Amino acid sequence: MSNDILVITEHMDGKFSDVSFELVGKAKELAKALGGQAAAVVVGGGVDANVFASDSTIQVDDAALSQFNPEAYAKVVEALVKEKSPKVVMFGWTVTGMDIAAWLSARLGVPCAAYAKDVRVEGGGIVVSCQAYGGKLTAEVAPEGETAIVACLAGSFPAEAGQGATAAEKIASPVDLSGLKMKFIEMVKPAGGDVDITAQTKLVSVGRGIGGKENIELAEELAAKLGAVVSASRPVVDAGWLPRTRQVGKSGLKVKPKLYLMLGISGAPEHLEGMKGAELIIAINTDKKAPIFNVAHYGATADLFEVAEAMLELL
Amino acid sequence: MLTPIEKILFILLALVSAGFTFHGFKTIIDTVRKGRPAPELKNIPASLLKAGVTVLFQRTIFKARKALSAVHLGLFFGLITYAFVNLFDVLEGLIPNFDLTYSGKHLAPPAWTIPLINIYSLVSDVMSMFLLIAITIFLVRRFIVKDKALTYRENVLLNPKVKAGGQAKDSLIVGVFVIMHVTAHVLSQAYRLTEGADPFMPFASFLNSIFGASETGMHVAWWVSIGWVMFIIPYLSRSKHTHFFMAPINLGLAKQNPRGQLDPAIPLKVIDGRKYDPGAKVITDLAWKRILDAYACVQCNRCQDVCPANFYQRPLSPSALEVNKRYLLKEATFGSHPDLLLAPLTETVISPEAVWSCTTCYACVRVCPVGNEPMADIVDIRRRMLIDGFEIDSGVQTALQSLATNGNWMGKGKRLRGRWAKELEFPVKNATEEPVEVLWFVGDTASFDERVIPNTKMVARIFHQAGLDFGILYQNESNAGNDVRRVGEEGLFEQLVEQNMAAFGKAQFQRIVTTDPHSFNTLKNEYPQFGGKFEVKHYTVTLLKLFEEGKLTVKNKLSHYKVTFHDPCYLGRYNGGFTAPRKLLELLGVEFHEMPRNCENSFCCGAGGGQIWMGKVAPGERPAENRIKEALSTFEKHPSDKKQLFIVTCPKDMVMYSDAVKTTGNEGKIEVRDIIQLVAEAVGVEEVSPIVG
Amino acid sequence: MNIVVAIKHIPSIADDVPVKGNNVDFDSVDFVLNEWDEHSIEQAVLIKEAVGGTVTVIGVDLIGELDNALHLALAKGADKVVKITADDPAADSHMQAKWLSEAIKGMGANMVFAGVQASNDLDGQIGPMIAAYLDMPYIGGVSSVEANSDSATVNKEFAGGAGAKYSVSMPFVAGVQAAPKPPRYAPVSKVRQMAQSATVEKVAPSGDASSGLTFKKMAPPVVTGHAEMIEGSSKEVAAKIVELLKSKGLA
Ligand SMILES: Cc1cc2nc3c(=O)[nH]c(=O)nc-3n(C[C@H](O)[C@H](O)[C@H](O)COP(=O)(O)OP(=O)(O)OC[C@H]3O[C@@H](n4cnc5c(N)ncnc54)[C@H](O)[C@@H]3O)c2cc1C
Ligand code: SF4
Ligand code: SF4
Repeated sequence: MSNDILVITEHMDGKFSDVSFELVGKAKELAKALGGQAAAVVVGGGVDANVFASDSTIQVDDAALSQFNPEAYAKVVEALVKEKSPKVVMFGWTVTGMDIAAWLSARLGVPCAAYAKDVRVEGGGIVVSCQAYGGKLTAEVAPEGETAIVACLAGSFPAEAGQGATAAEKIASPVDLSGLKMKFIEMVKPAGGDVDITAQTKLVSVGRGIGGKENIELAEELAAKLGAVVSASRPVVDAGWLPRTRQVGKSGLKVKPKLYLMLGISGAPEHLEGMKGAELIIAINTDKKAPIFNVAHYGATADLFEVAEAMLELL
Repeated sequence: MLTPIEKILFILLALVSAGFTFHGFKTIIDTVRKGRPAPELKNIPASLLKAGVTVLFQRTIFKARKALSAVHLGLFFGLITYAFVNLFDVLEGLIPNFDLTYSGKHLAPPAWTIPLINIYSLVSDVMSMFLLIAITIFLVRRFIVKDKALTYRENVLLNPKVKAGGQAKDSLIVGVFVIMHVTAHVLSQAYRLTEGADPFMPFASFLNSIFGASETGMHVAWWVSIGWVMFIIPYLSRSKHTHFFMAPINLGLAKQNPRGQLDPAIPLKVIDGRKYDPGAKVITDLAWKRILDAYACVQCNRCQDVCPANFYQRPLSPSALEVNKRYLLKEATFGSHPDLLLAPLTETVISPEAVWSCTTCYACVRVCPVGNEPMADIVDIRRRMLIDGFEIDSGVQTALQSLATNGNWMGKGKRLRGRWAKELEFPVKNATEEPVEVLWFVGDTASFDERVIPNTKMVARIFHQAGLDFGILYQNESNAGNDVRRVGEEGLFEQLVEQNMAAFGKAQFQRIVTTDPHSFNTLKNEYPQFGGKFEVKHYTVTLLKLFEEGKLTVKNKLSHYKVTFHDPCYLGRYNGGFTAPRKLLELLGVEFHEMPRNCENSFCCGAGGGQIWMGKVAPGERPAENRIKEALSTFEKHPSDKKQLFIVTCPKDMVMYSDAVKTTGNEGKIEVRDIIQLVAEAVGVEEVSPIVG
Repeated sequence: MNIVVAIKHIPSIADDVPVKGNNVDFDSVDFVLNEWDEHSIEQAVLIKEAVGGTVTVIGVDLIGELDNALHLALAKGADKVVKITADDPAADSHMQAKWLSEAIKGMGANMVFAGVQASNDLDGQIGPMIAAYLDMPYIGGVSSVEANSDSATVNKEFAGGAGAKYSVSMPFVAGVQAAPKPPRYAPVSKVRQMAQSATVEKVAPSGDASSGLTFKKMAPPVVTGHAEMIEGSSKEVAAKIVELLKSKGLA
C-alpha cells in the first residue's frame, strides 16, 4: 500500500504515443497531491525510455515483449501492480490500454474508471470524471479501496508536463513469459501509396452524413479547390467509402492541420481524439445539437451537400 | 372458286395452322398456370365483358398519346373488320359462286340482303385503304422516325434478343403481313371485277382499272391473302402481338382490390399445400396474373414514359421488365431454354439497381392500357431479395433497423415522437389516455424532422382553433409501414401494423386523420386486412369540412398568391384525393394554376418506395427538380408580380421540393409551402414558419 | 467451432440520456443492443459459415426486454441464445461480466466474443473481465478472426490503419471492433419466426462482483466552449466560410 501512481505507457515503432506523456504529467500532479511518487512503466525494450518527467521509470525487457502482446503485457503489468501496490494505475483508454485495464481490474478485484477525462484528489482519495454514454453524460466516480485503475481518454491532459529525461531502470520480466497462448505474427501496415493525412495542413473530413460512396467525389472536389485532402470518420472507412489511411481518430490517425473542415461528423469522443488539436475547426452538421459544436471553432446547422456545392461555386 | 386440289391444299394448310395455333395458346396457358395463386377475383364474366367494351372503344390507351391512340383505334377497327373479311374470303374460296361483287349478283341472294352486302363491300374496301395508311404510319414511326419512346436507356437490362432488335422484327413481320394481306385481298377483289367498276368497292375498282380482271390473278391473290393468315395466326401466339388476344383477357382479370393495397408476399390461397417463400426470385414465383401481364404487354412503353425513375436516368424501365419477362418465357417455352424459368429475375428481367430505383408511384400501372402491374413484380422481387440476404443499400438498412427498434426511420427514440406537441401553447390530448373524436396519426417526418415540425404545430393550432376534439398517440404511434412494405420488408410491415393496431386498441376515437399520404394509404387500404376497421381521412378533407361547417373561416383572402398544387402519389393517384386540396385553395382565394401533369397524371417527387432512405444517388435532373421547373413554366404563362407558391400536402414533399427549389437555383422565384401554412394565414393563426435549413 | 458471443443491452444514446439522481434514469430510456455487439455476432456467424460450428449468444436481461435482441441474433444465424435474468438495469460491467462468465464456464467455448466496448462501460468492458474471470487471454480491437483447428489468426487494429496479426490458441476472448463485413440485415419475418419457434434459455445470475466505483454525480457535460455558429441559408454559410478561410490565408 502506497500513495504512488503507476503509469502504463505505450509505444510503437520506437516512439511513445502522446497519451503516455499526458498521463505522466497528470500522474506527477496527482502524486504530489497524494504525497507519493509517479512512476512510468515501459513494457518492452525496443524504445528509449529516458524521456519522461516521472519520478522514476521502470523498463521491463524481455524477448516476449518486443511487440505489443496483450497477454504478455497484461501479465507483466499485473505482477508490477501486485508488487508495488500503488494508489492509482493509469492507462490510456486506447486500443492497447483498453486490452489491459478492465482485465486487470477484474483480475485483482480493484475498481476501474474508464473513459476518464479528468482525475482529481479529494479527501485523500481520487475522483474521476468520465465521459460516458457517447459523450452525452459526464459521470463523477470515486473508486473504493487501496488501489484504483484509471483509463484516460487521449488528449485529456497536456503532454508537455510529462516530458523529461528520467533515467529508466531496466528490469527483467517479473513473471514467467513462457507458454503464452498468444503469439505475435506480424505487423499489418496500412496499404501504402495513399497520401499521408497527418502531413497535411488542410483537411476536409467527411462523416456518415456524407451518405454514400458516390458523394465522396463532392468532398474531393471541394478539397481540391482548397488545396486540402479528404479525411474521414470511422464509419465512412468501415463502409469502404474511403481507405483506412484516411481515418481520423482513436483507431485512425491523429492530425493537427491548420484547417479541419468537417462535413457530417457528429463529434464522437473517438473522433475528437484524433483532431482536437487542429488550429481551425469548422463543422457543418444538420443536427444543431451535434456534440461537435461544443468543440469546433465555427459551426453551421446546414446541409453539407448544399454548403459544399455553394462553396465550390465561390472558390 | 377454288379447284378441288386447291381446296384440299387449303384444308390441309388450315389444319396445320390450327394445330400450331392450338399448341401456341396451350403453351401460353400452361405457362401462365405455372404462376402462383393471385388474389381472388370476383365476378369474372362481368369484368371480362366490361374489358371487352373497354377494348372495343380502346378507352384505356387514350390515357396517354392521344393522336397515336386515334390511329391505333382505326387499326383496331380495321383488324376487327378483317376478321369478317377473311371469313367471307374463305367462303368465296370454298363455295362455288360465293362472290359478293356487284351486290352479290352471282350469288343471287334474297333481296333483303343486298343492302347488307353493299355495306359490307363498302366498309371492307374503305377499311382496307385505311389499314394500309395506318400501318404505314406505325412502321414509319418505328423504322424511319425511330420514335425515342420505343427505345430503352443504355443502362436498362435487356434480353439479348430484344437488344438485337427482336421487337422490331416482330413489328416488321406483322406490318408486312398486314400490307401484303390487305393488298392481296383488295387485289383478289379487283381481279374479280369482270364487269368494270363496282360503286361499293371504290378502291378495288380503282385497282381493277389498272390491272383489269384475271382468273389467275384472283387465285394468286386469294392464296397470298389467306395463306398469310394461316401463317400469321400461329405466329401471333409466339410474337409480341399475342396482345391481340391477351390484352382484353388481362384487362378483364385486372386488379380489383384498391390500388393502394399490395398483394400479399405469400399467396393467401394455397394450392396442394404448397409452401411459398415470400416474394419472387424466379418468374414462376410471380402470381399467374403477373405472368399473363407479359403476354398482354403491347410493348408500347407508355409506362416507361411516365416512370420517374426512368426519367432520373436510373436503369429502370417498367416496360423493359415486361418485355424481358416475355422474351424469357418465349425462350423457355417455345425455345430451347426451359432452364430460364429457374433463372433469377434479377439477372434476366430487371437489374438489382433497377429494382431499388422504383418509387412505387403507381404511374406505370395507372397508364398501362392492358392492366399490367410492373410495380407489383418489383415489390415482389424486393421482398425476396430481403429474405435472401441480398446486400441492401446501407441507408435502407439503417432505416429498417431503426424502424424495427424505434418504430421510426430517423433513429430517434420512441419517447421523443410527441415532443413537438409539448412545445405548443396548449396541451394536445393523448388519445391512449382519454377519448377523442379525431385521432391524428402524425407520421415520422412530421414528428421528427426539424424542418417540418413548424407545419405540424400549425396543423395542431388550426385543429385547436377550430375546436376539433383531437389527440395523438405520442410514443405509442409507430411508422404506419407504407414504405416499409413497398421496400419489401413484409415482416417489419406486419410488426408495425401490430404495434399501431395495439395503440389504436388502447385509444377511443371516431376517425383517424393523417397529415401524411403514405400513412393514409396503408391505414385506409391495408390495415383493414389486419382488422383495422376505422374511417381514415387526409387532413385536407378534414380542413375542408371544418370550413364548410363554419368552424374555420377565411379572414384574409390570399389573392396575393399565385399557386400550383402537386398531387402526392399516395393521396392522388392511389386514393383519388384530388378535389379537397383544390377546393381548399379555391376557398382561400389564391390564384390557382394547374400544372400539365396533374391529378392521375401527377409526377412523383421521387421519395416514395423507400427512395428517401437511400444515400444520395446518381447525377442528372431529379424528378423533384423537373417538377419545380414544370411549376415555373406553368406560372410563366400567367405573368404577374404575385408571389409564386408550390403547394404540397405531404411532409416528404415539403422536404423534397424545398430541396429541389434550392438545387435548381430558384430560391426567390418559387416557394414551397404546405397547404396548412396558407390555411393558417387565411384564418389568421400567427407564426407561419417557412421551411428552414 | 464453439463460439459464444457475450452481448450487452445498454441505454440508447440516440437522444439525450436522462439522469435521475447520480445515475441514468433507467425507467425513461430505451435499451438497445451495444453497436459493437452487432459486429461480434456478425464475426461469429461468418466463422460458422466458413468452418462450421455453433454460435451461442448470451446476455444479461436487465429490464426484461432482451428477447428481441436475442431473436435478432438467431435470425442472423446464431444457433442458441441464453439470457441471464437479472432485472437490474443498473448492473455494471463487473457484475454482468461475472454473471456471464459463470454461465459461459460450462459451455466449452473455443472462442468468446464481445463488443470491443459499450458506451456505458464506465468501469471497463465486459470482454476483458470475462477473460479474467475465466482465466483466458484477451485481445481487443479485433477486426477479423480466422479459425483454425485449435487456434485462430486474429487481426488487431492499432492507430493509423496499422494492425497486427496474432495467433491465439483456444480458448480465448476477443473484443470485436469491426467484423470483416458490415453486419447483415435480418428480415423481421425471420426474427418473428424465431420469436415464435425458438427458445431462449434462461439462467439465473450467479456470482458476485462489483465495480467498486461510487457515483458522485452524473450530468450532461458542462459545455466549456461552443462553436461560433454561422447563421443563414446554406449559400450564406458557404460564403461566410469562404470569407473566413480567405482572411486566414487558408483558401
Ligand atoms: C475503439 C474505437 C475506436 C474508434 N475509433 C474511431 C476513429 O478513429 N475515428 C472515428 O471517427 N470514429 C472512431 N470510432 C467510432 C466512433 O465511436 C463514432 O461511431 C464515429 O466517430 C461516428 O462517426 P460520424 O460522426 O461520421 O457518424 P455519426 O455519429 O453517425 O454522425 C453523422 C453526422 O452527420 C450529420 N449529418 C447527416 N446528414 C447530414 C447532412 N446532409 N449534412 C450535414 N450533416 C449531416 C448527422 O447529424 C450526424 O451528426 C471508434 C470507436 C471505437 C469503439
Ligand atoms: S411504380 Fe413508378 S417508379 Fe416504379 S416502375 Fe412504375 S412508374 Fe417507375
Ligand atoms: S406494361 Fe403496359 S404500358 Fe408498359 S409497355 Fe406493356 S402494355 Fe405498355
